[in-house]
Amino acid sequence: MPRLVIDDLEIEVPKGTKVIDAAERLGIMIPRFCYHEALGAVGACRMCAVKFIQGPFKGIQMSCMIDAQDGMIVSTTDQEAVDFRKRVIEWLMINHPHDCPVCDEGGQCLLQDETVSSGHARRRYPGKKRTYRNQYLGPFIAHEMNRCIHCYRCSRYYQEFSGYRDLGPLQIGNRLYFGRFKEGRLESPYSGNLVDICPTGVYTDIPARYKVRRWDLQRSPSVCIHCALGCNTIGNAHYRAVMRVEARMNPYVNGYFLCDEGRFGFSYTNGGADHAQRPWTSKIGGADVTVEAALAESSSKLSEIAAVYGPEAIVALGSARNSLETQSMLSRLCRRKGWLGPVWFTDTAVYRKVRSAVERLDSGIAVSMREIEFADFVIIAGADLLNEAPMAAIAVRQASRKNAQIVVIDPRPISLPFEFRHVPAVPGQIERCLGSLVKGSISKEELKGLDSAAKGFCKALPAKFGDKESGISIPELADQLMASRRPVIVCGTGIVSESTPALAADCAQLLRESGKKAGLFYILPGASSFSSALLSGPDAKGFAEILSEIEQGSIKALIAAESDPFRDFPDRERLDKALSQLDLLVAIDYLPTETVKRASVFLPSSTVFEMNSTFVNPEGRVQHAERVHAGGVPIWGAHPPRIVRNFIPGGDHQPAWEILWKISAETSVLESVLTLGELIAAEMPAFEATGKAQYPVNQARIIPEKSEGSFVKPKTRPEQGQKPKGFNLLLTDRIFASREPSVYADTLEGVFPEPALFMHSEDAAAAGLSDGDTVSVGLEPGSIEVKLSVSERMARGVLILPRQKGIEWQRMKDFSAWIALERIRKI
Amino acid sequence: MAKEKSVLRDLLDDVMGLADSYAVTLKHLFRKPITEQYPDFKRLLPARSRGRIILTRDPEGEERCVACYLCSAVCPTDCISIEGAERKDGRRYPLWFRINFARCIYCGMCEEACPTLAIQLTPDFEFSKYGVLDFLYEKEDLLVDHQGKNADYDYYRHAGVSVEGDKGEHINEKPPVDVKSNLP
Amino acid sequence: MWWILGLVLLIMKLIIVISVLFGFAAYMVLVERKLLGRFQIRYGPNRVGPFGLLQPLADGIKLIIKEDFVPRTADRLVFLTAPAVVAAVPLVITAVIPFSDDLTIGGTRIPMVITDLNIGMLFVLALASLAVYGIALGGWASNSKYSLLGAIRGSAQLISYELSMGLSLVPVVMLAGSFSLVDIVNAQERLPFILVQPVSFVIFLISAMAESNRIPFDLPESENELIGGFHTEYSGMRFGLFFVGEYVSMIVLGALTAVFFLGGWRGPILPSLFWFLLKTMLIPLFFIWTRATLPRLRYDQLMHLGWKFLLPVALVNIVVTGGVMLFMGW
Ligand code: SF4
Ligand code: SF4
Ligand code: SF4
Ligand code: SF4
Ligand code: FES
Repeated sequence: MPRLVIDDLEIEVPKGTKVIDAAERLGIMIPRFCYHEALGAVGACRMCAVKFIQGPFKGIQMSCMIDAQDGMIVSTTDQEAVDFRKRVIEWLMINHPHDCPVCDEGGQCLLQDETVSSGHARRRYPGKKRTYRNQYLGPFIAHEMNRCIHCYRCSRYYQEFSGYRDLGPLQIGNRLYFGRFKEGRLESPYSGNLVDICPTGVYTDIPARYKVRRWDLQRSPSVCIHCALGCNTIGNAHYRAVMRVEARMNPYVNGYFLCDEGRFGFSYTNGGADHAQRPWTSKIGGADVTVEAALAESSSKLSEIAAVYGPEAIVALGSARNSLETQSMLSRLCRRKGWLGPVWFTDTAVYRKVRSAVERLDSGIAVSMREIEFADFVIIAGADLLNEAPMAAIAVRQASRKNAQIVVIDPRPISLPFEFRHVPAVPGQIERCLGSLVKGSISKEELKGLDSAAKGFCKALPAKFGDKESGISIPELADQLMASRRPVIVCGTGIVSESTPALAADCAQLLRESGKKAGLFYILPGASSFSSALLSGPDAKGFAEILSEIEQGSIKALIAAESDPFRDFPDRERLDKALSQLDLLVAIDYLPTETVKRASVFLPSSTVFEMNSTFVNPEGRVQHAERVHAGGVPIWGAHPPRIVRNFIPGGDHQPAWEILWKISAETSVLESVLTLGELIAAEMPAFEATGKAQYPVNQARIIPEKSEGSFVKPKTRPEQGQKPKGFNLLLTDRIFASREPSVYADTLEGVFPEPALFMHSEDAAAAGLSDGDTVSVGLEPGSIEVKLSVSERMARGVLILPRQKGIEWQRMKDFSAWIALERIRKI
Repeated sequence: MAKEKSVLRDLLDDVMGLADSYAVTLKHLFRKPITEQYPDFKRLLPARSRGRIILTRDPEGEERCVACYLCSAVCPTDCISIEGAERKDGRRYPLWFRINFARCIYCGMCEEACPTLAIQLTPDFEFSKYGVLDFLYEKEDLLVDHQGKNADYDYYRHAGVSVEGDKGEHINEKPPVDVKSNLP
Repeated sequence: MWWILGLVLLIMKLIIVISVLFGFAAYMVLVERKLLGRFQIRYGPNRVGPFGLLQPLADGIKLIIKEDFVPRTADRLVFLTAPAVVAAVPLVITAVIPFSDDLTIGGTRIPMVITDLNIGMLFVLALASLAVYGIALGGWASNSKYSLLGAIRGSAQLISYELSMGLSLVPVVMLAGSFSLVDIVNAQERLPFILVQPVSFVIFLISAMAESNRIPFDLPESENELIGGFHTEYSGMRFGLFFVGEYVSMIVLGALTAVFFLGGWRGPILPSLFWFLLKTMLIPLFFIWTRATLPRLRYDQLMHLGWKFLLPVALVNIVVTGGVMLFMGW
């Protein structure tokens, strides 16, 4: 632990800490452009010059390039250093285009700040300025190269950190250019971070282009709800609209960065560019009414139905984008009022997978994304990270950069921004593949040291996995796994079998008992799926059961709290018929869903930016999102009206939990439960640890010390029974286009991938199809028409269909289907 | 006795002082008033006196304002609201620009902050209305057809962003770097 | 039948005096504003009517149609009556002021005074101190700290200056040998008392200024400390009454000065009424001139002047007058 003195203050820092970081710990911010904690040092900008007075170095040195060492005495305010930095700024500004007034970075620009603070105000250099042409970089990022100061942050981030190659430095010396070889959309789905990372205004975000200055923004710490990971964000609002979402540094979750879906997918909260897409007003039977009327209507109808048919005639749906508060309220009300539910997922199998995953996490084994970065062997089983949990892919890439071996066991044509070994196993084989890999990694000696349960489990794991087709040698990988010290298993909950999450936990447990620091990370299907699994009892009815009860007429009313079965349920026709039999359909939502359109009573709820809310991420980390602004119809895009009024147009929304509580007419909730904190703690025993009435809870982890389950006997052979003929059609998620708030965000429309059906190239050849054909997949009745995309890097015998706009996959009748070859026809 | 005398002297001084002041005011009584009889007579105000605000145009006739928000940031009464937007040719401009003159204190900070010399205060101070809402001046009301006090300045000739035409055509610029060339 | 005629005459005199007084007060305001304007090298009001002559009318209309606002916590009855007291007191004083030589119509001598009280001067002094009731009550009833402070200052100031005013008039009474104002005027047949009693005159003048709350003695309403002093909470015509009261009392004080020191209506050649009015106007004009000239006194200076200077000087003056009279055998 070297000790050094910076500006007369003494500090002890861990070995390897740069002087610039040591100073930052003391609260001294040394000016810098090229240095960034996540990207490391290159010494390109010379801005961080300080004077070393004593120690191994003497004189002016770059503080970002020098490790702190014992006995150093450093001055940041020495006149020589100050002058040096002033000169640096002056020459960095020589070619600056002086266009801050039209630059969106102005007001949050490092170059601006440091130029002003260095005192440089007048251009002395009489020569001409170098200029560059700009490039089109896609719908998210604007490019203005003249502002570049050649710090290399962008290329280091883009190429080294996030693993994409299409943007980088061109030319040399004073002609150095940062851009693409050819104009075009940036390939990386993490391109938005360029805006944050560039210390100047070369990259600025297009959704907020020219609309706002930093000082006008209402900013609050928020949490991304576009996927389960719960990346930390800062919401920025102005004129009643969210303008921009920025990454908020959280070392355990997302580090400094965000994916583009989370960063640019906020426009649903503004109702899109024309503000008309969000349902702002309450409705009864499709006609606009006041909130009070809608609340009164739903609560009186509900009590009527409860009086006539009994409370079991009412069912409540929640979803994986409910806040923790809403989920607790839902579960409380269902229990107190005797309503059915709450039902969180339309797919009961997914729900069971989430539950078994959550049950099996314990603090010894669950890892955060940060810990994944330090893994030396990562097994990704049944998860498509880039599409299902984008920032997790970035975390794994960091492990990969440190030479970790990455193995992906998944049928899909996975592409990831790092090197990995792909085992294209069909869903039924993922477990066997994972099992054999783990089993192979347990040496004889290690096996001896295990206790009997672990030994039994290990023995029961399948020994071998047919790996002829993939050309991947499982034993070789198993050897590498055996040598690893910190392996991590990342397990999906989407296409895998119901037993896979438990198996992954057992495998991680086994690896741990064999002496490794093994970790486990689940990819869950929604921002609050973790907490939904903590809530309802094991006997909760599945959505299919509920549906048949509606069809039989025993359920008369449905409350959909931020839930859209029309989108999630694969049999739209049946749903359609069933829901029209209801007496009452109350929809509470902020998205213009199909359910909202059909609701007999609609009540607008608040988005994550408009209320204080809490979400639990897949490692059990509770994260609080603060209200960013009051919401309402944004003022953007047209002249604000010249009227004086004392209400906010579109300001009727309230948190879903509040609406639920009001329509339930439940006073007893408040009798025994006084605060939100107490409500949550009462509904979720896991929260007792964080203090019963504590609210809000932030950054606490609510997973138990020791998990409940242990070593389930694994299945050794493929599922019995006759295997259906044909292709297994799997529904999957795709980045930007599949998850719930994102599909309603018009900012993302420009990057929605084209709908496609993925098929192995040999399967396609056998069926006489080729890449790019439009095919019709026959279902009964009707069919889905979609473009075919063939790939060699996927499992045979499966069809992959990402749910997204433009595909009516809700004709499938069930969550997975077997399609005979004849039913795939080219048209 | 000496003391007595000084008291009398003091008294005399006081009385004389009073008399002096009365004399001064009396003299004033017979001077000609210096009042200018506004509104019968309107004095020509200096060009830089601070009254009603305008948005000027550059010598090309384009609106100068680039919606940089500096005036709204500096305004001590927060009476300027703007929404910036991008014109089809890429030029940054205010989609709407509103000054609430009921709040403006004519301090001139906005003019001082404006990097494009767009916002300018004019000598027009006769500015009263019956309704508060009538004091909301929109861009259409503010935008004039001349350059105001600065006839020649054109921000876009100096800044390194290009709206029409190629890079490197503005004042003091080299032609753009050809990134695909190996020639120095 | 005589008494009917007397009554009619009395009522006529009353009406004439009151309307003339109000007219004078109204135009006094205009004159003051105009003069102040000229003293400050401006024009003063010149927009309403020729030379702004209709300005008093405009002001009156404005005051009358303004909202008559009573603060919620005010003592309503007292609040409403206080301005009337202030306005009424100087009016009543005019009852004993002789404004001209007796008129003889058809052999009947009509005395040009509403009533010739033989204790006229005591009546005047008594009423003059009543005016402070209006100020004190109005200030107290407003239930506002500024009003209350103004009212207290008013009372204190009045008590202090009443004394020197009364004492300054003692030599006049001694010389005239009567309290009746008519007798006092008659006693100045040869010489106006200002020449006989210049010290008394100065003391009376200063005290009169203080009595009428004029600059430099306007501490009860000093607007830069007390907003408006005792009348802070008043608006509309009630405020107007305070205003009128101030100007009427200024004129009445002018008339009293004329009677006590300037020989009343006496004067050569011109009709006596003219002389009276001329002399009466001198004092208000001087007050206005003073307002344009002097700054307001500090409170301690005010007290110092009243108690430590005017009072002893007035006493000495009485003794000296008495001595001289004894010596001369008047
Ligand atoms: S574009 Fe930005 S991040 Fe990249 S080198 Fe230039 S200044 Fe640095
Ligand atoms: S990875 Fe998921 S949580 Fe993180 S920013 Fe992207 S969508 Fe949001
Ligand atoms: S003059 Fe002052 S108050 Fe008025 S708009 Fe400009 S900055 Fe604001
Ligand atoms: S400072 Fe000037 S250019 Fe900027 S927004 Fe205001 S008027 Fe427009
Ligand atoms: S920050 Fe150290 S050289 Fe750039």
